[in-house]
Amino acid sequence: MVLRALMAKEIRALFVSPVAYAIIAVFLLLSGYSFAMTLIVSKQATLVHIFFQAAMQLVLLVPILTMRLFAEERRTGTLELLLTSPAREIDVVLAKFAAAMTVLLAMIGLTLAYALVIGRYGQPDWGPVYSGYLGLILLAGALVSLGLAVSALTANQIVAAVVSLGIFGILWAIGSFAALLPPPIDNWVLGLSLLGRFTPFAVGAMYTSDFGFFIALTLLGLFLTVRALARR
Amino acid sequence: MSDHGGEGVAARLDHLSKRYGARLAVDDVSFGVGQREVVGLLGPNGSGKTTILRVLTGYLRPSAGAAQAGGFDLVRQGQDARGRIGYVPEDAPLYPHMRVNEFLAFMGGLRGLQGQKLHKRMDLVFERLALQDVRSMIIGRLSRGYRQRVAIGQAILHEPELLVLDEPTNGLDPRQIIEFRGLIRGLAAHCGVIVTSHILSEIERVADRVAILLDGRLVAVVRMDEIAAAGSDLERTFLELTPGMGNA
Repeated sequence: MVLRALMAKEIRALFVSPVAYAIIAVFLLLSGYSFAMTLIVSKQATLVHIFFQAAMQLVLLVPILTMRLFAEERRTGTLELLLTSPAREIDVVLAKFAAAMTVLLAMIGLTLAYALVIGRYGQPDWGPVYSGYLGLILLAGALVSLGLAVSALTANQIVAAVVSLGIFGILWAIGSFAALLPPPIDNWVLGLSLLGRFTPFAVGAMYTSDFGFFIALTLLGLFLTVRALARR
Repeated sequence: MSDHGGEGVAARLDHLSKRYGARLAVDDVSFGVGQREVVGLLGPNGSGKTTILRVLTGYLRPSAGAAQAGGFDLVRQGQDARGRIGYVPEDAPLYPHMRVNEFLAFMGGLRGLQGQKLHKRMDLVFERLALQDVRSMIIGRLSRGYRQRVAIGQAILHEPELLVLDEPTNGLDPRQIIEFRGLIRGLAAHCGVIVTSHILSEIERVADRVAILLDGRLVAVVRMDEIAAAGSDLERTFLELTPGMGNA
């Protein structure tokens, strides 16, 4: 009941602000342009390039979505209202996570139109399409939970966005530093790469280790968010 | 001098201390709030008033000692204790994009109110706080006085045993302050109230007792009728108990 009340409030708050619509519009505009251009040029019924571009766009756009979720409540003092109600910290965190994921799932869901187009006019290999979408959802979950943790640590939205972007950028590109490191450290670092973990999903080769990585990262982010709220 | 003024205890602090890093903000404070009693919490800026209220509402954890509300420990039985408290933080934070009725329904939902019970409670709050005319309005467009009433509305919606008000008259005009005074006395018929204010005359008019803090320590808990019986007033008592503040 408490969780339902919190989720309804969070989802409404995201959709009454123009931020969610702006993020969805920019995402669809850029991915739609890429989809159309690639289809015209290559004439191949595949979404692999769309998945990579969408993943990169998530890295750039999720900080804008998550930056206000806690920072705004902390700045305006409404966090005090929430945390002195019978709601638990985990309820507040899960509600915000669910609300942000609702926006992202709607955004990713709208790109199913591309899958319908290639299905209608071509003969795509559906395996990579399914795994690509699963990879995007898992990546979104991990990014949202980490973005929430950062937002819970500050009252400044800009700081939350910049720090989140920095963390996502490092985790995305960390694989390129691995080549400079001696074994076995290079493998450990490679294992932290969001790009490295996402790539198998995008090309249709799913591994349980990659699945587990994104789930673990999501749980870690949620745990850190709860800890950040409880530290007061 | 009684530790609390009512027949039961709405809240109780036992040797409460709160430390921020090396700084001791609240130092070994103990007092209670009786049911149907208004306790004024007074002290200069930085004396620990807001910190005590934040511990008493479960927002902050005590560094030592204990706080109880409605018979429940704020740390060990936090959820039960918080369910028995209504809290209006300083500056009455609200969600400006929400409508008044939507906000109250949300806050009621957090306290487990739903359906008919929620709507009955909301109607009662609208009536008691004279919010009927603005019930469908967006909070961000309300005057300061109405916003303050909405903040109190969410705090009394679930019929708490303890109402905690941090500087509730901040930003109100004189007419609103007078109305507010009557409102607090009315609310105290149903629960214990602990209130802070910089305006001594406000506290003098609404409180049954005052707890006076200085540098995080409780220097006195006195009944208003005892002050009057001694031929003194709150201003004089406050200045006597907080020496040196006039030179600040």
